[in-house]
Amino acid sequence: MINELLLQFGHWMEAQEYSQMLVAGYYSYSWLEATHVLTLMVSIGSLFIIDLRMLGLIMPNVSASLIAARLHKPMIIGFVIMFITGALLVYAKPVETIQSLWFRIKMFLLLLAFINAWIFNTRMKAADGNWDMNPVAPKALRVSAVISLVLWCGVVTLGRYIPYDWVDCTNTNNTTILWAAGCVEQLNAL
Amino acid sequence: MLGSMLSQYARTLSVAAVLLLIGIIEAFGLRDAVYGDLLPFFTWMRESSWFGVIGTTYGSIYATVEAVHLLSMAVLGGTVLATDLRLLGVIFRDVPSETLVTGTYKCFKWALFMAVLTGIFCAAGVGDKIYYMQVFWIKMLVLLTGSCFMIFIKQPFLTSRAHSEISPWTLRLLAVTSILIWFTVAATGRWIGFS
Repeated sequence: MINELLLQFGHWMEAQEYSQMLVAGYYSYSWLEATHVLTLMVSIGSLFIIDLRMLGLIMPNVSASLIAARLHKPMIIGFVIMFITGALLVYAKPVETIQSLWFRIKMFLLLLAFINAWIFNTRMKAADGNWDMNPVAPKALRVSAVISLVLWCGVVTLGRYIPYDWVDCTNTNNTTILWAAGCVEQLNAL
Repeated sequence: MLGSMLSQYARTLSVAAVLLLIGIIEAFGLRDAVYGDLLPFFTWMRESSWFGVIGTTYGSIYATVEAVHLLSMAVLGGTVLATDLRLLGVIFRDVPSETLVTGTYKCFKWALFMAVLTGIFCAAGVGDKIYYMQVFWIKMLVLLTGSCFMIFIKQPFLTSRAHSEISPWTLRLLAVTSILIWFTVAATGRWIGFS
């Protein structure tokens, strides 16, 4: 049911004039993709510095909470740009993206990454401030930092997989993959 | 007298020598002469080297290495931005800039090493294609410039004295140059994908 609704939504977006303009433009799609990828350096670059500091792998002599606080703004700016450009990339090729298994797993990992970020923030606020100048953060924060690194590595890797067609709807007969990717027409044809 | 003068300006003279070398290479058409000889190497990279064979045979491995390349560039960009924005006085104003310059350098070097290693793998997989791309050669030139700038100019200069002794405009100039160089490296890399 949800796959049918998503596909309908995809077809509706694909019929929009602006969606077609984004793909048809000589440079528009490339610029969007380039901005999406280059903003990684601001968003994930900042995030990884925070995570690596929690693990004591970078600037262990600087207060961990200070690093997190000072990099928060550039990181958020980077993520906002990434989400806007990411949404526009989906808008430009809606059906193809909605039916991509990698895109779906990526969205799931993104959700997990945001839940982890929320837990990380809560733990940081709740933690006793004495650890702040220690080379490594308390165990709970280190665990969150490792989870964050793993999830974001996954998000970037899956983002890189999206253009590849290994498990596209037309390239597989595996019903589990077809269902997970939301290949409604191919599933109905089986 | 001459020796002490030369040692005092060793880095400046090295940069001048490199620029002179580039001028000579261009003036005598050496670049064009060497360019043609490089094609067999790029073809070998794609068809016979381990990286090329793995990259062209297993698409999933190629895509995964591409992702590691992106992640390395993200970490590299993060360390560059954190340091340079501090030098520009945009962020970390309550942390001494010396601390950031030394604290992020190890991470920068690892990220650069990983980016170069994975970059060679990615280049090997499409060796005979990138050979003809002007943007690839621009990227290589800027990458070389950026690495030399960082290792031989920016880092030694910023760790040789207290930043309070350096003119704020020199610090800003270093930061802007560094941001522009690494942005160009990343942007040209992305453009290779579109070409």
